[in-house]
Amino acid sequence: MIKIFIDEQQVEVEEGMTVLKAAERAGIHIPHLCYHPAFPPEGSCRMCLVEIEGFPKLELACSTVVKEDMKISIKSARVVEARKAVLEFLLAEHPLDCPICDKAGDCKLQDYYDEYGLFESKFSETKEKREKKLKIGKTLILDQERCILCTRCVRFLKEVTKTQELGVFHRGIDAEVNIYEGAAVLNNYTGNLAQICPVGAITDEDFRFKTRSWFLKEGESICPLCSRGCNILIEYHPGFPRFEVPRRAYRIKARENPEVNGFWVCDRGKYGYSYLEEGRADKIILNKIEGKDVLTWENISEYLGEKIKRVSSAKKTSGIALVLHTWLSNEELFLIHKIFRKGLKVKKIFFADLPQGEADEYLLTSETSPNRRGAQEIGFDIKAVNLDALAKGTDFLLAFGPFLSGLFSLKALKEVLSKVKRKVLISSYLNEVNSLFDIVIPAALIAEKEGSLTNVDGVIQSFKPALEPPGESLPEWKVLADLGKELGTDSKLFEDLNSPGAILGEMGKEIPFFKKK
Amino acid sequence: MKEKVLTEHFGLESLYKIDVYQKQGGYRATEKALKKMKPAEILEEVKKANLRGRGGAGFPAGVKWSFVPETDKPKYLCVNADEGEPGTFKDRYIMSHNPHMLLEGIIITSFCVGISAAFIYIRGEYEAIALRLEQAISEAYEKGFLGKNILESGFDLDVYVHRGAGAYICGEETALLESLEGKRGNPRLKPPFPASVGLWQCPTVINNVETISNISHIILNGAEWFVKQGLPKDGGTRIFGVSGMVKNPGIYELPLGTSLKDIIFKHAGGMKEGKKLKAVIPGGMSAPILTADEVDIKMDFDSLVEANSMLGSAAIIVIDDKTSILDVLKVVAKFYSHESCGQCTPCRIGNSWINKIVKRIAEGKGKKEDLDSILRLASNIEGNTLCPLGDAAAMPIVSITKKFRKELESKL
Repeated sequence: MIKIFIDEQQVEVEEGMTVLKAAERAGIHIPHLCYHPAFPPEGSCRMCLVEIEGFPKLELACSTVVKEDMKISIKSARVVEARKAVLEFLLAEHPLDCPICDKAGDCKLQDYYDEYGLFESKFSETKEKREKKLKIGKTLILDQERCILCTRCVRFLKEVTKTQELGVFHRGIDAEVNIYEGAAVLNNYTGNLAQICPVGAITDEDFRFKTRSWFLKEGESICPLCSRGCNILIEYHPGFPRFEVPRRAYRIKARENPEVNGFWVCDRGKYGYSYLEEGRADKIILNKIEGKDVLTWENISEYLGEKIKRVSSAKKTSGIALVLHTWLSNEELFLIHKIFRKGLKVKKIFFADLPQGEADEYLLTSETSPNRRGAQEIGFDIKAVNLDALAKGTDFLLAFGPFLSGLFSLKALKEVLSKVKRKVLISSYLNEVNSLFDIVIPAALIAEKEGSLTNVDGVIQSFKPALEPPGESLPEWKVLADLGKELGTDSKLFEDLNSPGAILGEMGKEIPFFKKK
Repeated sequence: MKEKVLTEHFGLESLYKIDVYQKQGGYRATEKALKKMKPAEILEEVKKANLRGRGGAGFPAGVKWSFVPETDKPKYLCVNADEGEPGTFKDRYIMSHNPHMLLEGIIITSFCVGISAAFIYIRGEYEAIALRLEQAISEAYEKGFLGKNILESGFDLDVYVHRGAGAYICGEETALLESLEGKRGNPRLKPPFPASVGLWQCPTVINNVETISNISHIILNGAEWFVKQGLPKDGGTRIFGVSGMVKNPGIYELPLGTSLKDIIFKHAGGMKEGKKLKAVIPGGMSAPILTADEVDIKMDFDSLVEANSMLGSAAIIVIDDKTSILDVLKVVAKFYSHESCGQCTPCRIGNSWINKIVKRIAEGKGKKEDLDSILRLASNIEGNTLCPLGDAAAMPIVSITKKFRKELESKL
């Protein structure tokens, strides 16, 4: 560690760090536009110029490496003047169409002008005319007039996807970002371009004009659409429903995690968020019920416990069957393992997941669910559903998830399930198979609950709810924890398992893989 | 004191052919360097010669070479023959009249630094000269001055000619490297400097044609002799390219420190009939302009810096009293606006903005505040850009606007 001084404030930083990073560590923001932590410094926007004692010129914070006792000024009159000059230059050739710009409220140029500019325009020449609505592939639209030539997009496509669809064409004031002839941006990571564009040059039709960014709040979560477990932000409308078609999530953004996804998220994760809204089950469905008329989430575990207890003790192992899936969290799978595999010695455990997909050579894996690895590490044998084996001699079926309907025809399912005496489904979706179960309990999705997932590389990642679960939905772990208590399998243990954190702690004791490192 | 070093044999028929060149003592320096000297001795001699870069920046060549680190990576030499600075036309004469002198310099430099591949990056417009260089290179291969085991010294060297595609910015050393690598000619961020991270990320020496052409003379005659041809801190001669309203425009090889007044009025024959001197741009278009009263000045790096200008590429542009200074400003502003690579904000937009203002003034739509705007914008460019092009644009624009303010105001 060495010490440096930023505007007289002494800061301890690691050797070899740049001034910009060192300042950031100390909680001091140095304005920048072209610099992005994923790439080597570019040094072209000139926003991050700072004054360093002993240097005749202003130096770039993004590329200058700190030295012991370096005295840096980021707010001196000279620095502020240079910063204002850069802003003045950028704004001189900027269309200033903020009222109709989708990036307004989320734009670095706007923020910096608010902070350092607020000067009157002295530019009385004619602005350059450029393409304002250039479709560059999938849902992206390039506005060359708003572009400040930070080249983050060009560098992303060169260094991350290595597809190089965009480049800088022409020079001087005519320089502009454009697509190479016949090379639309069609890779699986295009959504990141709208996110890394610091201004409104690249906007995304998926989001464009759907709402305004200042209405949105963001919640941290993990993408469940493959087994990479990319860290994401879900931007949602806290005042939902606001429009005729209620919609909470408006945009998914990548959240930095160097160990898992860097700064990026693939297009499936970015755009495939309709699963959060569409076809969601939000009420408990009672198709066939005996005894009590009213079933609420408070007495679900009691009900389930009673049904399970009714299965004759001689038939415990063969009379109970489970259909699981690997969207369930580590904690949920562990509770199932404790209650059913260890406690009741249930053998008929199947998994119903979406079929495997195509992996790309970067983040997207071929697994279409987030926690296959977690299920394996807990010790589950991930067997596909065999309908005959599932139904034969089964008195009680507890199924999770909506995926059975994709795997079998309704007719086949109906025929088989009619042989099972009692069956309960815990699922997040309204689905044709729901009608085949006695009861359907609506479940929260990963974005709406707490827990952890194990990604394809064995990284265990915890998550907290980013969104409220709809209606009567509740997280599976809660039902399972209550059920554990109800059945008295290991009552002392289950008394303490009242949160995903506590469950994960217990897992660490029993399964070395889950031990906190 | 001998006056001509580089241009001594210019005019001799077929000097560009290796036989003729050798008859004039050509390749003796190469033999001396490769057979009798150690690389360290050559470096010491070049350092002592105080040979400063002839491209414009004036960085001492020997010091530059000594920055090349010891490494297992290949090292490269790039000869900057882009000669893009307006007013400059000296390198083309060296290369077309005496290409082997350049090649000798390349061989000795490469031997000294431990380089086995050298590139001559020549501006695209110099097509005939590029062909002549290629001819000279193939002669040198035939005679064993290039290729494997040169003069049985165990030293190998290949030389390639690479033609640019017509961008001023490619004369900037790091943009030249990008262009040579086949990329868009954008300058790189420094540090790292090319001496440690250059062509294909390898240590690279980049020197101007005239700089390299001096090397054989330093080797043959010694550093002491070389310094005597110029000034103690600024050894050798310079090839001054005089253009504009003089009787005899052309190149003049003279000792560093020769007076600008003498160059214009003695060597170049004075002003054309009926023309009076108004201003001089002393070192290529990027150099701040001098008024007629300021020409009694020594032409060397330090004297010109003292006069708030620069020696640059030693290209002297002589402007007469009939030339409108607004026209000069128009040409300068348009040039830099057109040649900015567009990578960094102040250069890209600042130069275009200034150009738009100057164009408007020239159209008769000038406003009272325009000159102050030009000065303000230029000062916001200067010192704040990624490469020296920003300064190269701002300096002449500021000096023209300040020194000829009255004349410009009359056009508003």
